[in-house]
Amino acid sequence: MTELRAEARIALAIAHKDAIAELRGRHAMVSTLFFAAVVLLLFGFALGPDAARLAAAAPGLLWLAIVFAGILAVNRLHLLETDDDAFEQLALYPVARRAIYAGKALGGFAVMLLLGAVVLGAVGILFAVDIGSAWGPLLATVVLGAIGIAAVGTFYAGLTVRLRAREVMLPLLMLPVLAPLLLGAVKATAAALAGDPFGELGAWLQLLVAFDVIMVVAGAATYGYLLED
Amino acid sequence: MPQITIYVSPRSVGAPDTRPPAVATTDLARLFAGSPAVAGVSLRVEAGRTVALLGPNGAGKTTLLRVLATALRPSYGSASVDGLDVGRDTHLVRERVAYLSHATGLYDDLTARENLAFAAAMLSTPDPSARIDRALGDVELEARADDRVRDFSAGMRKRLALGRILLGRASLVLLDEPYAALDAEGMVLVDQLLAAWHAAGVTVMLASHTTDRLDALLDGRVTLARGLVAEVSGAGVTSMPPALPQRPRPVVATR
Amino acid sequence: MKTRILGFVALVTVVVVTVIGLFVVPPDANQGDAQRVMYPHVASAWLAYLSFGVTALCGIAWLWKRDLRFDAVALAGAEIGVIFTAFAIWGGMMWGRPIWGVFWQWEDPRLTTTALLLALYVGYLLFRRLTDDPERRATRAAVLGIVAAIDIPIVHFSVEWWRGLHQTATIAAPDRVLDPAAPMAFVGTLLGFVGAFTLTWLYLMIRRYQLARAEADREEAARVERIVSARTVEAAR
Repeated sequence: MTELRAEARIALAIAHKDAIAELRGRHAMVSTLFFAAVVLLLFGFALGPDAARLAAAAPGLLWLAIVFAGILAVNRLHLLETDDDAFEQLALYPVARRAIYAGKALGGFAVMLLLGAVVLGAVGILFAVDIGSAWGPLLATVVLGAIGIAAVGTFYAGLTVRLRAREVMLPLLMLPVLAPLLLGAVKATAAALAGDPFGELGAWLQLLVAFDVIMVVAGAATYGYLLED
Repeated sequence: MPQITIYVSPRSVGAPDTRPPAVATTDLARLFAGSPAVAGVSLRVEAGRTVALLGPNGAGKTTLLRVLATALRPSYGSASVDGLDVGRDTHLVRERVAYLSHATGLYDDLTARENLAFAAAMLSTPDPSARIDRALGDVELEARADDRVRDFSAGMRKRLALGRILLGRASLVLLDEPYAALDAEGMVLVDQLLAAWHAAGVTVMLASHTTDRLDALLDGRVTLARGLVAEVSGAGVTSMPPALPQRPRPVVATR
Repeated sequence: MKTRILGFVALVTVVVVTVIGLFVVPPDANQGDAQRVMYPHVASAWLAYLSFGVTALCGIAWLWKRDLRFDAVALAGAEIGVIFTAFAIWGGMMWGRPIWGVFWQWEDPRLTTTALLLALYVGYLLFRRLTDDPERRATRAAVLGIVAAIDIPIVHFSVEWWRGLHQTATIAAPDRVLDPAAPMAFVGTLLGFVGAFTLTWLYLMIRRYQLARAEADREEAARVERIVSARTVEAAR
């Protein structure tokens, strides 16, 4: 048990370090949020101006924007580690590999949560969707979605961080794996916004939970191999 | 001369001949893209010794250090630190080894103190704030402790990286070109560190081009050339000529 | 020699089964002749899944045993798997056009999952090409293969859920033929196709593995050769 506590402390130390570096970095978080906003604007141009059509498409657009911006966000977190080969130094500390994963994923989760909340608000405004009515299940969906994207993203960002053609490989590898999460999150959001007429919200949230659990376990178990050389 | 504080793990204590060799490699080879950087090194360094790794660029010094630091896996052969295999007991080896590479592994957006605080957390350093203060003092960076590393010169970064090593309790310290990028004072600092480690019974292996100032500090020297040991001299270090494999090995990589 | 026999047998069974599928087995009462595409489509899809399973399992085996032969099999599985996956998707679309009226139907779990499988495979193969060092490549690819393989069943179930929860009117699905009421001829033909394709798969896998293995052995010999020459040159000094 003390071992788990020690690992948790390591993970928190890593997340803390990432948080400081992020906040002091060249406003990367703000850029990512802005990117999401731009994506939403473009969706508006592409699918508008019919408000009804946009409102119907809103759940999908919401999660597409979150996923696309999320790729940038998780990439950033690992880009931090390219400072003077810090990733290698990190790998050499006598700490459990899954603790490093947990620390990185925790940072990713915090960023994704913030991103999700902001984009949700933006979607509410831009596509005339009433998010206040179902804020509970919507929040739950955002939380679960954030966990999933962080779990998968941390893994794939770690996998590609020292690779050539990193910028295209990360989304190329990550997006297919996120398909079930995207499906579940969009369906849950749509159900929540509609007042859950078919009672399917619970099922979709369960799918998200299952995805999250499986991906976190898989990521933690395999992250150590990514740090190898 | 101010005293440098070396935290010594129980493993470093005791007469050198009661301890397993700090470094022992057997026919160690490591290839990159088919080409051997280290072709066959069988080396043995006794505990508590300070040994220099010499040789021209491309001789394999950095690769050898990196394998011992567990940053690289051996391609063939084996390597051990304090009797622990670098492939099988990687975690245990990491607890014993501190490595200074060409890159410092510091985070640009963090201050010197924050970088050390992070390292202390990773190393589970007891009483971290006191030891961080002491480390900053030992490497003479207290004045810049709260400045971001982004603004540091190469020499200052190196000092900070050395300070990071002081936070741990390594029994084997591996230094790759410790004198590079340092001014005269910085070089004196490295001399002091070498002396302090030696006094504390910590084994040190350093790759360096700067050989003259090392004379008083070294126990032994190993010269590498083209990935092999060319020459060994001094006390506490021995080497064997590598074995010649007779036929291609099956496609199994060593752990 | 044995592999050649296998190849020959595989070829013969494929021809036999194709003839049966095209001419001998009666057409489906509802779907007509178009339904015949279903046999190779379903069989390929199963082999596509099998291939990826092999890739993932060999990845685990590499991480455990560090024998590069496992990596060679993993690569073979991915490459052969891409072929069968592409074929399965093509078959699905060929079947879908006359039956559904469209080439694609999002709520068919097999088609969607297979499409995603193709994306994962291609990503895996592209990813492999980015690393030159055989051991690093094997480790990174193994880890990628494992996580991708874990995703497949999740995708499959989520798409099934998607279909189920929407309660759309019975989408004709290719494997409707597998319910208990299906006539033996259909089931038999399908099993025949599965058997024939599996033999083909096995043959292709063995051949591809032999190729990969030969290349790995060559590379290994070159590496050892360089080490030996480096050591002999030094010893002569």
